[in-house]
Amino acid sequence: MAKSDDGIRILQGLLVFGNVVTGMCGIALTAECIFFVSDPHGLYPLLEATENDDIYAAAWIGIFVGFALFALSILGIVAVIKSNRTLLLVYIILMLITYAFEMASCITAVTQRDFLTPNLFLKQMLERYNKSEADNNNDKWMTEGVTKTWDKLMLQNQCCGVQGASDWQEYTSAFRRTHSDADYPWPHNCCVMNAQGSPINLDGCKLGVPGYYNSNGCYDAISGPMNTHAWGVAWFGFAILCWTFFVLLGTMFYWSRVEY
Amino acid sequence: TMLPLLLLLLAAAHGLDGLTDLKAPVLASTSLGGRITTSTFVLDQPRCIFTNVPKDTVIWLVVADPKAVPDFNNSVEPGGPGREFQQFLNSTLAYMTLNTTILNYPCPKNPGDITVLRVGSETSCAKDKTRPTCNGPLPGPGPYQVKFLALNGSKPVAQTRWSDRITLRTAQPSGSIAVPGSGHSAGMIALTSILSILFAILLAGLVAML
Repeated sequence: MAKSDDGIRILQGLLVFGNVVTGMCGIALTAECIFFVSDPHGLYPLLEATENDDIYAAAWIGIFVGFALFALSILGIVAVIKSNRTLLLVYIILMLITYAFEMASCITAVTQRDFLTPNLFLKQMLERYNKSEADNNNDKWMTEGVTKTWDKLMLQNQCCGVQGASDWQEYTSAFRRTHSDADYPWPHNCCVMNAQGSPINLDGCKLGVPGYYNSNGCYDAISGPMNTHAWGVAWFGFAILCWTFFVLLGTMFYWSRVEY
Repeated sequence: TMLPLLLLLLAAAHGLDGLTDLKAPVLASTSLGGRITTSTFVLDQPRCIFTNVPKDTVIWLVVADPKAVPDFNNSVEPGGPGREFQQFLNSTLAYMTLNTTILNYPCPKNPGDITVLRVGSETSCAKDKTRPTCNGPLPGPGPYQVKFLALNGSKPVAQTRWSDRITLRTAQPSGSIAVPGSGHSAGMIALTSILSILFAILLAGLVAML
């Protein structure tokens, strides 16, 4: 009896430890997802305009799941120490529900990451940047978001277009409809700017003289943060779920050993 | 007998109206991103080409449809009937623009200077019929051929050969960009399958324990 008592004590200790780690990970997940939802790079309007912003939905779910994990881990610690069958059962069922939600979040984040290709952003930029006539209010909102985001992107990252400044020459665009090719081979935000925010040499920029315009593309500046976001949500969530799997299995085993 | 042959050769070296055929205009260096766009192109300035002309000569750029090249008449007045930019490719097949005195093309050029001419940069006069020598944007992808013509007053004194055909870019419609349907990466498949298996095991455990 002493041996199995020891065994139970060890299992209790392990479960408490497991729950402590789960709780801390829950807080970390909440913090990470709040960071992503706050959109520090200002790329959300681009996703909004693709009409598929699942990555943000995944981050929102992550916030609540993280908090739930923290609360449930406290419940778990109390239940294990008190060896209360009812509490343990409640803990297990609630954890399984949280598990399901977190699974959804991870799978959504990693699936949507595959959807965000350079061509998607290229087509969106060409069709929406500086589009003058909007179909409806929603369209106007998305167009304004895309235009402002691209202006900011090109200025801050000293880049032009998705793959390069030649994007504006190779394809027709909404921008081209209102800005003639001779005056604007590419938007003026592609020019190298001085401290006051105007091009240092507009003619040099229009000619395409290296040093007066930015010929490199902005795709890296977009995909970098999006990748971090998607992988942060998906793979950290995956790691938490793997850990939680073992804790839950242990708790189920413990439940079946606890006497009424 | 050598003298008549020599004279014949010399006569053939001059153009039809007795003008020397100098080096043809060339497009600017490929390091310029805007070398050829959908309505403009960039040429190198004719530096050190017109070496034997009087100081008050005016150098004009002739832009023509290749159909007008064989019987192009140098004596037609720039901007006159048959040479208006606004009618280019409508009723005229050539126009003249970018006129400047030879003093603006000093020789030798300063190393490090970018000496180019942008054909098609003036949008303000593109529809202005009072400016028939406007350097307006070209109306289509071409091809076009250009040459430089030196006029003293209204008399042609020198010309370059016609350039090779210059074809401008044509922009593809943005709707033609293929956005492939979602291809699933290996990571996504691994993550989904592993999580599903783990969840299934947990549910089985729950059922077994109850």
